Order: sequence, then C-alpha cells, then structure tokens
Amino acid sequence: MARLNELNLIDALEGLKTGRFTSTELVTACYEQIEQFDPVVKAFVTFTKERALEQAKEADDLIQKEGGKAFEKKPLLGIPYACKDNFSTTGIETTASSNILKGYFPPYESTVTTRVNEAGGIMLGKTNMDAFAHGSSTETSDFFKTLNPWDISRVPGGSSGGSAVAVASDMCIFALGSETAGSIRGPAAWCGVTGMKPTYGRVSRYGVIAMASSTDSPGPLTKTVDDAAYVLEIIAGKDPFDATTSPKSVPEYSGFIKDFDLKGFKIGRPRSYFEIDLEDEVREIVESAVKKYEELGAEIVDMDLLDPKYSIAVYTILQRSEVSSNLARLDGIRYGQNREAFGMEARKRMMLGAYTLSAGYYDAYYSKAQKVRTLIIEDFNEAYKKVDLVIGPTMPSIALKLGESDNSPMFGELMDVLAEPSAIAGLPGISINAGFSRGMPVGVQLIGQQLTEGNVMGVAKVFQQNTDFHLNRPVIKSSE
Amino acid sequence: MKLKQQEIPLSNGFSFVIITFDMSELIITKEQVKRIAHLCKLQLTEAELEKFSQMFTQTLAVIDVLNELDTSDVPETYQVTGLGNVFQEDVEQKGTLTQEEVLKNAKNKKRGLIVTKGVFDR
Repeated sequence: MARLNELNLIDALEGLKTGRFTSTELVTACYEQIEQFDPVVKAFVTFTKERALEQAKEADDLIQKEGGKAFEKKPLLGIPYACKDNFSTTGIETTASSNILKGYFPPYESTVTTRVNEAGGIMLGKTNMDAFAHGSSTETSDFFKTLNPWDISRVPGGSSGGSAVAVASDMCIFALGSETAGSIRGPAAWCGVTGMKPTYGRVSRYGVIAMASSTDSPGPLTKTVDDAAYVLEIIAGKDPFDATTSPKSVPEYSGFIKDFDLKGFKIGRPRSYFEIDLEDEVREIVESAVKKYEELGAEIVDMDLLDPKYSIAVYTILQRSEVSSNLARLDGIRYGQNREAFGMEARKRMMLGAYTLSAGYYDAYYSKAQKVRTLIIEDFNEAYKKVDLVIGPTMPSIALKLGESDNSPMFGELMDVLAEPSAIAGLPGISINAGFSRGMPVGVQLIGQQLTEGNVMGVAKVFQQNTDFHLNRPVIKSSE
Repeated sequence: MKLKQQEIPLSNGFSFVIITFDMSELIITKEQVKRIAHLCKLQLTEAELEKFSQMFTQTLAVIDVLNELDTSDVPETYQVTGLGNVFQEDVEQKGTLTQEEVLKNAKNKKRGLIVTKGVFDR
C-alpha cells in the first residue's frame, strides 16, 4: 500500500471520507517525509506544523461528527498542502523568498489561500521560490537554493520551484503556485508533476505578492490532472478584491473532464515551437506525446504561430516595467526592510523597467511591446479558428545543473520561451509529464483559448489515463 | 552597434546564446545606470554600475528583435481580460483592518501613526 503522503488528492479525500485513515495521520505522514527529505532538497522556507496538527485534529473531529457530509461544505477537509511563499497568509511569515520582506507577517490573507482554507485545506508550510518570482530556477531565492529531487545537482525550475519539489517528493498532497510566464509550468515540467496555469483573471491575485500584474496567475501544482481540476474549481472565480477576475461562473471542471472524449478534437502543432533550439530527446518525447494523441483519436494539425523569440522580447519589457512599478512600494516604512535589502535580480529588473518606462524610451520599448502583444493575441485568435488546443514542449531542455544560469542576464526569459506567448495573451496552459530523458522528467504543455481550462485539463487527463509517466516518483539521494 | 553571438554550451548539449558587444558602444551608459538607480532609490557600487550597464545593453540588444515587426497600425494591449469599468457595489466594506493590524509590521511608529522622514520642505 502506498504511504499516505504518496496519495494523490482524489485518493486522499476518498480515504478520509471512508475513515480508512485520519487527517492527523495524513498530515503526520507528510511531515515525516518533509523531515526526512527536506534537509536534502530544501523545498520549504517556513513550516506551520503545530497549527497544521491542530487543524487536522479539528478536521478529524468534524469528520467523526458529520461523516461524509462534512466534505460537502468543505471539499478539501483535512488535506495537507504546500503554499508558495508569495501568497499572503495572516500571521504567518510571508517573504516571497526575499530578504526585504524577512520578518513580514501579513495582517490579511490572500483570496486563494482563504478559499483553500475555508474548504478545509491544511497548510504545511510556505515553499521556496525565486525571490519575488524573478527567475526560472529557484536559485535566486535570497535564502537558499531548492534542489531537484530527481537529481540534486540540478535545479527544480522556477519560480514555483519549492511547490513543484514538495509535490514531486510527496511532502504534500498538492501545492499552490503562481505563474507570470512559466513559473508553474516550468518547474512542473522539470520536476515531473502536473502544473496548471489558468487564464489570467480566472484566479484572483488578491494577496499574492505582485510580479507582473498583467500576467500573474495563481494555480495548482498537483500529482494528477484530476487533482488540478479539483483544486482549480475551489480557487477560481470572481473576487471583489481583484477587479481583473472574470465574472463568468466557474465550470465544474472535475465533472467536465471525467469522461472526456478526444474524438473530433483538433490539436495544433506549431512548427515554430519545435524549430527552436530544443534538446533532441525533449523533441522526441514531445513528438511521441503528439503521436499518442493521434492514436487516441485527436486530429493533429501542423500550424504556424509567431516565432516565440518575439515573446521573449515582449515579456522581458512588460515584466521589467511592471516589476519596477510593483517593487516601488517596498520602502521599509510600513513593512519589510529598507531597499538596501533587495537582491541582485530584483535590482536588475526594477532598473531596466524604470528605463523602459521612462520618458523618451517609453514608446520605443513599453509601447512597442504592448503593440506586439496585440499581434501575439491576434496570432493565437487566428490559430484557434482552426484548432481547439495547441501542443508543445514546456521547456526546451531537461532541468539544468545548478549554477548554469549565472552566465545569462536573461536566463529565465530564454528558458521560458515556450510559456511566454500564452502568458502574454493570458491563455490557460497545463504541463504534464510526457517521459524521461537521462532520468529527468520532460513536460509537454497544452494551451487553450481563454477560459477553456476544462478542455485543456480534459485533453491532459486523457494522456494520463493512457500513460503512466505521471506516476513515477524520484528516489531522493542525498549527496553523500 | 556591433553584436557578436557567442554560444555557451551547457550540460546535455544545450547551449545559451550570449550576445557580446563592443564595450565602447554601450546602449546604456554608466551615467544612465546611475540615474536609473537614483530613480529606483537603489545605491550601487562602481563595479555594479559597470555590470548593470553591460547587462542592460545586452538585454536591450535582444529586445531589439521587436523592430522586425511593423506595428504602425497596431493598438496596444494593456490588459487581456476584455473587462472594462469594473465597479463595486456601494456598500459598507466589512473586514477592514484595524489600526493595530495595519501598524503591526511598521518598525517606527508613534501614537498610532507611522513615523517617516519628512518629504516636503517647510
């Protein structure tokens, strides 16, 4: 029998409902795993063990009292999760892995964690990330580097690296992350888990420490697509505290993808996503995933999309500009440390953003980028007249070795090249494990039109129903 | 400006393309970096000024690819939701933070207010 912490969300819920085990046992199993392996991979920056065990006890009491009915009002009752450190959590230190926010205890809770907690979810702790989500390797955390559990000489990807590692290492049942362009899908691909980046505005940004406000999208990192659908249903939806959230009602994703049928589905294979500098094995694995979809009844359509190199440029300008505006508020007066505490990466991004927004350069950079953004959106709109979804590699390579990003001032932007176009256009995308290259997981991503999370997850689920890549777990070896 | 592309091989055969350039032709000079740092309220060392000036020039060189695209008739997209004029109902907001909660994280406070340096000349 699988150890409790190894269960996926759906199975863990079933076990709690039927009384096969208690939430206290489940939470304890997660902490046992954390205590054994977190000293090696370092996924967490803060633990909330005492509180979690109290909440588990409360959950167990409620289940004892109300039985299965308790889950109708609290669909995540007794489920332990890990939370990226950029979600504000009342009274629990929230730093976005930055020195400048060290010692900051938010007086309010983010909408996403509020919803998860009200649904009965139990937070195990906060996970490490690139400081302020500025990065794609979790190496730019101001505290320490998180290591990839499949090979601890490699990075986990980022910026939601800690969350991806916590899921891949079975330290939690699911995790919360956020993506600006690649920060959920990237680490999910490199750690071999499922990462769902929703449509911009589908999930509230309220209480999430801002990176680039026009693309920031919170979302789940999970063990299966079913789990992602289940969590998304809970965290998605209109929020009066975030005016950019969509007023459209949230579909019942779990039910929608239950018996998903690929027949008649057109999946676009953009040539430009396969023509960039991909590792050979990554290309082969993604091509075999495309073939698998064809076997399963989908129609594969070769198509053109704008060269993603334009998205690197657009994203770099928009993100640096928005970062410069968002980090201007950190003055050390109301909370946090003073601006001397900013790390290298944040300084670099703020300053370039201040430049691209400044008088005289605004038109050449910021305005130009926003115009090309329009072209990228129109390009996708044209594509979705012909296909239902777009498929491609998530990352151009397997996880890199630690330290390899040091040479490039645009490392993150270059690594996230395949996530940037969809992020700029606010589209939903999922990354799932499609195979292994030299023992490291390789992700394939599916990208849909805005607010078609159901289709995106449905098509991804069919892949997991017919393959078992997502069931593989790393054997964590310490360096000795 | 003369740009040279240089490939830096990584493990597993993958490589980064690093753009190098003639140092006499920095798009962003050290003086400009100093000014931007001032705008951002950041203090940089001489070595950092040099480093950032090179990094920014490198990044702007990559960004230059946008000029391959004609955008003369293209409008800007500032947000992608298509929503406009999002209003809230004019009702009393519950759950406002108390003064104590708001001040909790401030280091320097006095009589229920946050103490800051003066910003206006008398």
